[in-house]
Amino acid sequence: MSPLGLAWRSLRRQPARAVLGIAGVVAVGALLFDMLMLSRGLFLSFRDLLEHVGYDVRVTATEAIPGTGPVVRDASGLAASLRELPEIDEVVPLRFGNAWALGADDLELAVTLTGSGSSARRTWSIVEGENLPRSASDDPAAPAPLVINRILAERLDAAAGSAVELQVDSDGFTALPPLTFRVAGIAEFSFAAGGQPWAATTLPAFSRLRGEVEPDTADLLLVASAPGVESRYTVAAIRARHPGLNAFSNAELVGRFQDENFAYFRHISVVLTSVTLFFAFILVTTLLTVSVNQRFGEIAGLRAIGFARRRVALDLLCESALLVGAGGALSLPVGAAVARVLDGILRGMPGLPERLHFFVFEPWSVVEHVVLLSLTGVLAAAYPVWLAARLPIAATLRDEVVG
Amino acid sequence: MSVPIVETRGLRKVFPMPAGDVVALDDVSLTIEPGDYLSIQGPSGCGKSTLLHILGCVETPSAGSLHFDGRDVARLGDYERSRIRLTSVGFVFQRFFLLPMLTAWENVELPQSEAGIPRAERRDRTAELLEYVGLADRADHRPSQLSGGEMQRVAIARALANRPRLVLADEPTGELDESTGGQIAGLLDRVNADGTAMVVVTHDPALAGRARRHLGMRSGRLLPGDRR
Repeated sequence: MSPLGLAWRSLRRQPARAVLGIAGVVAVGALLFDMLMLSRGLFLSFRDLLEHVGYDVRVTATEAIPGTGPVVRDASGLAASLRELPEIDEVVPLRFGNAWALGADDLELAVTLTGSGSSARRTWSIVEGENLPRSASDDPAAPAPLVINRILAERLDAAAGSAVELQVDSDGFTALPPLTFRVAGIAEFSFAAGGQPWAATTLPAFSRLRGEVEPDTADLLLVASAPGVESRYTVAAIRARHPGLNAFSNAELVGRFQDENFAYFRHISVVLTSVTLFFAFILVTTLLTVSVNQRFGEIAGLRAIGFARRRVALDLLCESALLVGAGGALSLPVGAAVARVLDGILRGMPGLPERLHFFVFEPWSVVEHVVLLSLTGVLAAAYPVWLAARLPIAATLRDEVVG
Repeated sequence: MSVPIVETRGLRKVFPMPAGDVVALDDVSLTIEPGDYLSIQGPSGCGKSTLLHILGCVETPSAGSLHFDGRDVARLGDYERSRIRLTSVGFVFQRFFLLPMLTAWENVELPQSEAGIPRAERRDRTAELLEYVGLADRADHRPSQLSGGEMQRVAIARALANRPRLVLADEPTGELDESTGGQIAGLLDRVNADGTAMVVVTHDPALAGRARRHLGMRSGRLLPGDRR
């Protein structure tokens, strides 16, 4: 009988204990799987979010988060200058701000508003109606085009072609009149937070709404590298031409977030992963040690009839492997289900982009899960294996007879 | 002249204890030839089982020499000693030490699979052994479903599984009633008659009386008698 077969029979001998052991491994294994998904989840999700938009380089005036620092001046001139670079395929200046959408019955809805320059690629995708025109002709007399998300459309009862009034957030001293926009289409915004109204319009309309005296500014310029050009070369080319600006690739941005903002999640994940593995270790060690202690006579008998130390050790390692293997395999779907629930809770935090996830599945997480649990299983078996292998055969046989 | 299965010279076994060393064996010299049938009798604690364990390479002596099939056991590692126990020695214990989760068939087959015997050969040998001990119809029973005598018969079949040259039986009838003990004794006689050397440690004079050589032990020493 193979070591695995004998281990299986040993576990089946006390099914309640085996089931409890496996259930324990399922619980800690599920938590481990969740922690592994959490450790890189935000990083992967954020990278996916940035790449989904289709621009691989960002340009800002300073290192401040766009919308919170100084604006880029002469945005259209800068965009034209960048477009001349052979490394660049497309450039779009963006503005970010807040506004109130005015509806019937004095309804006022806070809206996150984006002002976007002309471009073929947008940071949103149209699901109904039309997009903003690629090259907007700014006619202050005509209602400016506006794309809105589904939430805003439903709250205002608006559809493509509807008129929508927006007014900028008052600072308490100034009160600008509302502007009327025409809804060109309904869109899904990549960076939109769940449940929050979002809208986008042209840069001239954005400036007009805010009554700006210096309209040709941008919080951020999105840059798409030419086909076949790596982002780092594009960044280098921009830095060479405009050394006063802050250009960075998606990878650099994600890296910065990974080192600073996401580090908390990584640290929490590392701590909880360690605690989880420790619990798995204690659980399996305890189960196997109790099992060995109860079977001293049997083990001594096996050794006496010719089972070598290594074979006894292998039997126990197989028992550990069965416990951890079965529990570990079952923990994957359980962990995935728990991660889904936890992800839903965390994504409920206000202001987070809807596409952002905390728990992200990747095959590497499964590999790590398997490797870590396997190592834990081997380590957990070490003490009971040592106990069994060092068992004094004759003394144990004597004790069993006397006992 | 054939090589003895076991040859000991000046065996000594000392167990260190907090209250002082306990000498379990002292100057024990003994030879077991192929086909021997030897009984060892003596009071509890006189060192019978310790001697049996040393003869079966389960325990190592503190001093003296032990040769098994001409090999100096002191020079062998755990694995080699285990192989001797697996292939050349059969143990029969008072408490049987069958694996409770395995059937009678599986308990008998286990040492064979550990010795690397091919599956078909194992099957034939296991069937033959269960037939030999009269338990062919109980092959699928677990130890908990067998009587004490039946369990000891399975243990004897297991001891014979790899065709050992020597069977060591430690109080094989100690847990059995007189009638069942008699059946087991008869079975051990048969094993020896079929050519396997047998050493039986027992308190039971009737069982000891069936052997051809009789040794007594007192305080770790073999009493004068036929030691060869």
